[in-house]
Amino acid sequence: MTQQTEHAPRAGRKISIDPITRLEGHGKIEIFLNDRGDVDRAYLQIPELRGFEEFAKGRLAEDMPQITSRICGVCPTAHHMAATKALDDLYKVTPPPAARRIRELIYASFVAEDHALHFYVLGGPDFVVGPTAPAAERNILGVIAKVGVEVGTRVIAMRRRIRSIIELAGGKAIHPVFGLPGGVAKRIRPEAQAEIRAIAADAVDFATFTLQVFDDLVLKNPEYVQLILSDAFTHRTHYMGMVDAQRRVNFYDGQVRVVSPEGTEVASFGAPQYRDHIAEHVEPWSYQKFCYLKQVGWKGFADGAESGIYSVAPLARLNAADGMATPLAQQAYQRYFATLGGKPVHHTLANHWARVVELLYAAERMKELADDPELCDPNVRTLPTQAPTEGVGIVEAPRGTLIHHYQTDERGVVQKANLIVATQGNAARIAMSVDKAAKSLLSGKEVSEGLLNMIEMAFRAYDPCFGCATHALPGEMPLEVRLRSLDGTVLKTVRRG
Amino acid sequence: MTPASAPPRTVVVGLGNPLLTDDGVGIYAARLLAERLAGAGAGVTVAESSWGGMRFLDLLAGFEKAIIIDAIQWRHGPPGTVYRLPPDEAVPTVRAVSFHDISLGTALALGKKLGIPLPTELVFLAVEAGDVLTVAEGCSPEVARALPEVAGLAMDQLAAWGALPEAGCTNSGSPGTL
Repeated sequence: MTQQTEHAPRAGRKISIDPITRLEGHGKIEIFLNDRGDVDRAYLQIPELRGFEEFAKGRLAEDMPQITSRICGVCPTAHHMAATKALDDLYKVTPPPAARRIRELIYASFVAEDHALHFYVLGGPDFVVGPTAPAAERNILGVIAKVGVEVGTRVIAMRRRIRSIIELAGGKAIHPVFGLPGGVAKRIRPEAQAEIRAIAADAVDFATFTLQVFDDLVLKNPEYVQLILSDAFTHRTHYMGMVDAQRRVNFYDGQVRVVSPEGTEVASFGAPQYRDHIAEHVEPWSYQKFCYLKQVGWKGFADGAESGIYSVAPLARLNAADGMATPLAQQAYQRYFATLGGKPVHHTLANHWARVVELLYAAERMKELADDPELCDPNVRTLPTQAPTEGVGIVEAPRGTLIHHYQTDERGVVQKANLIVATQGNAARIAMSVDKAAKSLLSGKEVSEGLLNMIEMAFRAYDPCFGCATHALPGEMPLEVRLRSLDGTVLKTVRRG
Repeated sequence: MTPASAPPRTVVVGLGNPLLTDDGVGIYAARLLAERLAGAGAGVTVAESSWGGMRFLDLLAGFEKAIIIDAIQWRHGPPGTVYRLPPDEAVPTVRAVSFHDISLGTALALGKKLGIPLPTELVFLAVEAGDVLTVAEGCSPEVARALPEVAGLAMDQLAAWGALPEAGCTNSGSPGTL
């Protein structure tokens, strides 16, 4: 990348890192340099989709699992599940045990696939190949060059097999169609269970192996460990995540728990109470709404217990829980905190490790559910009998707490819809991370490709979601760095790629 | 023009999000093409996907030839401009395209490395999009007007590959009908 760049910072410039490609305005970092060439302030700008509320209004609530799963190309299953749970609440129905197991099996499979994809394909290149490696090597092909073709084949095959569980149990892998208020659309037949059990057992082996890869390639490299622990990638915020009755991480259901930067519980709430706890802040430089804790308040982009900023996703979930509900993941959880200096862990790049711990939990949970004799019980639906009014559904999406809220008339026609998507929960902390990384890494230094990538790493660790457009033609456009004087004049456009 | 041997295993993939206005143009073009092909009796597979990158490999695996249709924001023309992209331009450098997946080029290189059978010929059709951030079904009028042109280009390419039945024995040669 940075092929034709001039590196030395000049006074009063603005640097834009525009890593998303095809669509203008899809995630862009703006870095303002002051007269001394130091970073004055860095921003990550994320566009928001427009018009969802109007789009939803007047539609049948029962169509929302299908509709919302199509809004986002990244995590359709998370939207499908959050919407389905909102319908349970809307119609006041509890799914039968088998339906709950089927939903959770599909959901654990989805999280396992998504986490594995992120580790090997997206986050992995930074660590497995190296944060300052040339861009042409810092990708899945570079990872395979490092870990071997047979590992690549294993990753691809495992992904495909995990997805086949979602197809077997959920209909379509890309846009699932199983979720109905009070249950699921179809049961799992005993003959399918054997196959699901075999895949789930392999998934546990695969996740264990992935944890070993992380150990060998990241933890045994002192430079990487130092990078994870470095101040440039550290913020002390609140953390949010869903937990079960024993306060262990749960992706599908439970109470939403919030802990302070010191690790003490500051809130624990069920889905219908989310509005008592989560508020949204607006900044003039971004269309994105920044979530914060209502009871603590918005105190600007600041660390600490006095600031209402919180974080979601793997790092936050492990911090917000007391442990993992499966044995191997619990071991990994304990080792994670022991190695990183106790709870909570404030190091943003530890998200990558936390994600692998969660991958192991998801795989073990898949196996538990696959082995459960009740999985094949034909009773998978509780029929709604009450007139609907309002429903809230919450799940832990791979990228954090996801909330769907619908209000309807008595026929179940949506009057009002509100979504709080995972990345909004991380938006404020991501903004701080980008600013801090830019200030720590860039100030007074040459603007090199490696440094720009390390700033990107500050938000890639969160795996933020930009809503849509995961496909791109033609392939990828080059990353653009625009250098501007403070009055906005473009001094030079640098393209990498 | 049409080879006497068996027609190549061919797939047409419409990419995009049908709930984000012009972002769905690839999907709508694929649907229009499927309608035209239904009358032609061709053995061409038409698929829709909102996913690119790694997940896209599953759709292409096992085919010999592929046409990919997608929205683009190049600003090389007004919304509705149709581009036929040469493969080397469409499959440029190898690096992450979004934070959630890899680029098509990387995906193809990966497939090759891992021995997955992938198309040897790829044609990319792209349509300049206007609005891609408003949640709505259907394209804007200026982009929707490009759909017959895209479907026509795809039909021409399929004919050139010998993926369509011989002209004259079906009604495949009736472009422009909606």
